Amino acid sequence: MVRLGIMSFAHLHAESYLALLKSMQDVEVVGIADDNQQRGEHFAAQFDVRYFTSYEALLDEGVDGVLVCSENTKHTPLVCMAAERGVHVLCEKPLATTLDDAERMVRVCRENQSRLMVAFPMRFSTPALEVKKLVDSGRLGRIYGVNSTNQGALPEFHQAENLTFLNRNWFVDAALSGGGAMTDHIVHLADLLRWYFGAEVQEVYAASNTILHHKRVNVETGGLVMLTFSNGAFASIDCSWSKPAYYPTWGGLKLELVTEGGLTTMDAFKQYFTTYSHSVARPLWNVWGSDANQGMLTEFVSSIEENRAPIVTGEDGLRAVEIVLAAYRSASRREPERVGGG
Amino acid sequence: MLRVGIVGSGVMGTTHAFAWAKTPAQVVGIYSKDVDRAKENASKLGARFFDSLDPLLDACDVIDVCVPTHLHHEIVVQAARAGKHVICEKPLARTYAQGLEMVEACHKAGVKLLVAHVVRFFPEYAAAKNAVQRGDVGQVAVVRLTRCSFQPRVINDNWFVDFAKSGGMVLDLMIHDFDYARWVAGDVETVFARSVRGVDPSASEDYGVAILRHTNGALSNVEGGWAYPPPMFRTGFEIAGDAGLIENPPDSAVPLGVYLKQVGQSDIPDVGIPGSPLAEDPYTTEIKHFYSVLTEGVEPRVTAEDGLAALRIALAALQSAQTGRVVRVQEVN
Repeated sequence: MVRLGIMSFAHLHAESYLALLKSMQDVEVVGIADDNQQRGEHFAAQFDVRYFTSYEALLDEGVDGVLVCSENTKHTPLVCMAAERGVHVLCEKPLATTLDDAERMVRVCRENQSRLMVAFPMRFSTPALEVKKLVDSGRLGRIYGVNSTNQGALPEFHQAENLTFLNRNWFVDAALSGGGAMTDHIVHLADLLRWYFGAEVQEVYAASNTILHHKRVNVETGGLVMLTFSNGAFASIDCSWSKPAYYPTWGGLKLELVTEGGLTTMDAFKQYFTTYSHSVARPLWNVWGSDANQGMLTEFVSSIEENRAPIVTGEDGLRAVEIVLAAYRSASRREPERVGGG
Repeated sequence: MLRVGIVGSGVMGTTHAFAWAKTPAQVVGIYSKDVDRAKENASKLGARFFDSLDPLLDACDVIDVCVPTHLHHEIVVQAARAGKHVICEKPLARTYAQGLEMVEACHKAGVKLLVAHVVRFFPEYAAAKNAVQRGDVGQVAVVRLTRCSFQPRVINDNWFVDFAKSGGMVLDLMIHDFDYARWVAGDVETVFARSVRGVDPSASEDYGVAILRHTNGALSNVEGGWAYPPPMFRTGFEIAGDAGLIENPPDSAVPLGVYLKQVGQSDIPDVGIPGSPLAEDPYTTEIKHFYSVLTEGVEPRVTAEDGLAALRIALAALQSAQTGRVVRVQEVN
């Protein structure tokens, strides 16, 4: 039995993770801790788990692993706190908003034999896995380029108006999130493509703007990014928060891979049916595809059980952070940027 | 009676010639190096075949130039000097200097120069432009445009595949969407592009993506390719603004599905042309519009300056893909 806890419910993924963990037979949910007591107690009651008023108290209870779901800029102290007690960590993405933080978490985890995994669920998306198999099969031939999107609605819409105590508006507050759409939506595709190609990003060009939702938020809401990989392939990523609040779903992740062998398209959330109902003012897409989060959590638990590194590591998270930071430098200088300051 | 002279009898020359037949204008003559095809088109349209440009210019009021890109300049300048209005296929020219000269020559001669950016006449593109213009999406923030097909076949001296003549995929195909991006989101300041041939001119196919920064802050992602399996041709657009979103992804507007057990010898054209079943094909819509411009004083939907601006963005994209640098459109010359 693997004993797990969740540190912070600032990120809305925490509740979907908790629901999945509770359904896993080899997992014992020790409890959750949150520095926002009202929020912590709310979810503890909702999911019938123990609430700890401090993160230390949760760790003192004895856990094998924790999920860190705090605001982006607050990952480091929680990850390090867990690591220093030898607890394995699954950290929400992006791992960090500065290089220092990302490197520190990777280092502290390594020094304490705590394994750090970063929440890149797309690696466990069943349509995304099919593309990985195709790339590995060699049937696609030389990779020319990728046109991809990870667009979403303004994260402010994540919060229901009657639940303001959840404090989930931080996604649009750079002090807590590190930035806007580029922070939020570059890393999934950047990580997926690094994995597909077994190659690193050498250069990033990014252009961003603040036209969408400019009356509501100050962070960038539109962004186009071009990555150039060490295998010669290039990839464009649209990370914009360009889906309106009344879109049939939160957003999506799609990519088109153009190669010597032809065209491969992947829409990670295409397995849906549409509902038109009197009860809602807009059509809704009901996704019935396999839940990538389940695959990700299973891998985290298995890596603890089998005492091995998870297939997504802290280093993968660090590489993604480097790419995002290069994108910000590029957007500000309006020139392509080498990754990792190289 | 507006008298039209067609130069060229390839895919576009033929398409334009038969589109003119649906207007009150008269196609009086066709001049082309492909004598057989030109004579065939001429006889079907009751027009004459010409084996040189000057006599055709003498016989017509407007010349419709549908020859390989690198030849546009010479013919258009000659037509302008002869005082003839000009329709010119896109891209306007092979180089910016040529394009500028053509625009100036037509201006000086007081003749119209209409550039055949036909995408502006495709109903879905025209309707989306109207929607943007009437404010359906508010201020435009992020535009996504896609146009991918297969490598034009190397037969019959296909000039498309000759970079020196056509400027390749970026200049010939992506220019459609550079023009459209500018139409819906305004002038373009910088271009950053990556393409297969930008770094490897000997590559057998091409695929590229360009990121445009518009002067007003909008961004465009333009994808183009000659790398799909034939006869595949996909186009798509998405326009996100601060008050709404327009989506028209590739494959979304395919009204017909035909899945036959009996697979015949597939008829793959030398060059891909996008299409959808319509009462009037967009080329005819375009030519009818040009007819109205020339005879009724209607404002042209696409001007010579538009053609020149699109050319400049495409050349900036080519330059960026080759150098790996961000290129300022105003510095392309």
